[in-house]
Amino acid sequence: MTVRMQCLDEAALIGYVYDDDVQDATAVAAHVATCATCAEEVRALQSTRDELQTWTPPEAVLGFQFVSTQQAPPTVLRPARWWRQPLPAWAQVAAAVALFGAGAALGALRGSAVTPAGISTAVTSAPASGVAPVSAGDLAALEARLRAELAPRGAAPAPVIAASHDDAALMQQVRTLIGESERRQQQELTLRTAELVKDVDAQRRGDLARIERTFGQMEGTTGVRADQQQQLLNYLMRVSQRQPQ
Amino acid sequence: MTLTDEELVTRSRGGDSDSFNQLVVRWERPIYALAYRVLGREEDARDVCQETFLRAFRALPGFKGQAKFSSWLYRIALNLCRDWIRRQRRAPVMQMPEDADPVEMVGEKGPAESIETLVARRELSAVVEKAMAKLPEEQRTAIILKEYHGLTFQEIADLQGCPLSTVKTRLYQGLIVVRRHLEEGGQLRPRLVKRA
Repeated sequence: MTVRMQCLDEAALIGYVYDDDVQDATAVAAHVATCATCAEEVRALQSTRDELQTWTPPEAVLGFQFVSTQQAPPTVLRPARWWRQPLPAWAQVAAAVALFGAGAALGALRGSAVTPAGISTAVTSAPASGVAPVSAGDLAALEARLRAELAPRGAAPAPVIAASHDDAALMQQVRTLIGESERRQQQELTLRTAELVKDVDAQRRGDLARIERTFGQMEGTTGVRADQQQQLLNYLMRVSQRQPQ
Repeated sequence: MTLTDEELVTRSRGGDSDSFNQLVVRWERPIYALAYRVLGREEDARDVCQETFLRAFRALPGFKGQAKFSSWLYRIALNLCRDWIRRQRRAPVMQMPEDADPVEMVGEKGPAESIETLVARRELSAVVEKAMAKLPEEQRTAIILKEYHGLTFQEIADLQGCPLSTVKTRLYQGLIVVRRHLEEGGQLRPRLVKRA
């Protein structure tokens, strides 16, 4: 049984031309083979497609590249925390005095019989039920005594040793940071150099292409002129060889 | 071993920027060509191309592989082109750069062509470009996606957000209009087709 098809609609024609989403390719092909109108339209569409293939975008230098900008947070050199620094001798003495004074005051408040040696009799004779008054003179005397006790021990050398130890660590840290910085700069330099080389190469290729084109045009012009000169020469030869009548 | 787009996408989502760079190398030329043919300006096409990959990189965690990576890229690029045209408030103007080298433009055709053939091809390319520039944006995009990127009707319909039949109509009418412009420009012999 032969099925006669009517002329193809737009969808069938475009599907046939692009060979995409054709419902019944065999029937469409058979119709195109027998219908001059549809065959002509298919040829027209196909030739238009052929013309479209000549459209080429200009060459572009692309080369996009993603570079991670996430870096380790920079290490900032800060002075050591004050509580980690070694205390000077006077501060140690003052702290000891304050601690001792506070302890004595607390003991007096509790009414204990503990009385530091050397405290004046006024303190020991104070009523047990009341607050034992500690005078400024008492504290001064205590401070003087503690100074005398602590001075021979030579508290100064200990911080010096600690300081020298910290200095060495600090120097080591600084050297490490300088090394890292130099390495980063080296990487940056390498990257920049690579980019520069790439740019120069692209520029060079463009220049070469332009030079070739210019040479081609010059060759064309020179060839035309050579042809003209050759024709002129031939003409002159012919004229010169004519026999005078 | 060449990895597929999907494999590279998976690696990129895991934080491997080299894998994403491989995707860029693989797709930057098609995306640039698409943007150039839609916008008609080299500079704009390059900017859109770069922006496409930037957006893709940022949106990569949200890309679950529902569509092909290429389709996803095309969608981003086309949206950017649409925004670009809207923002510029001007119709695409096709330009043929003065310093464009026909040798490079048709490099894949081989070096055997004469300079006359190259010049003729360049002129024809410019005529086609002008003819395409006269099309409405939807028709032009449909033809570009079909002719130069080989997408199926269904993929174009998905990208353009329209029915399959609309894509076919846009293609058909676009080709007819291009043909008419080429005939007017003397590039094609006029054909009279009488529809039944």
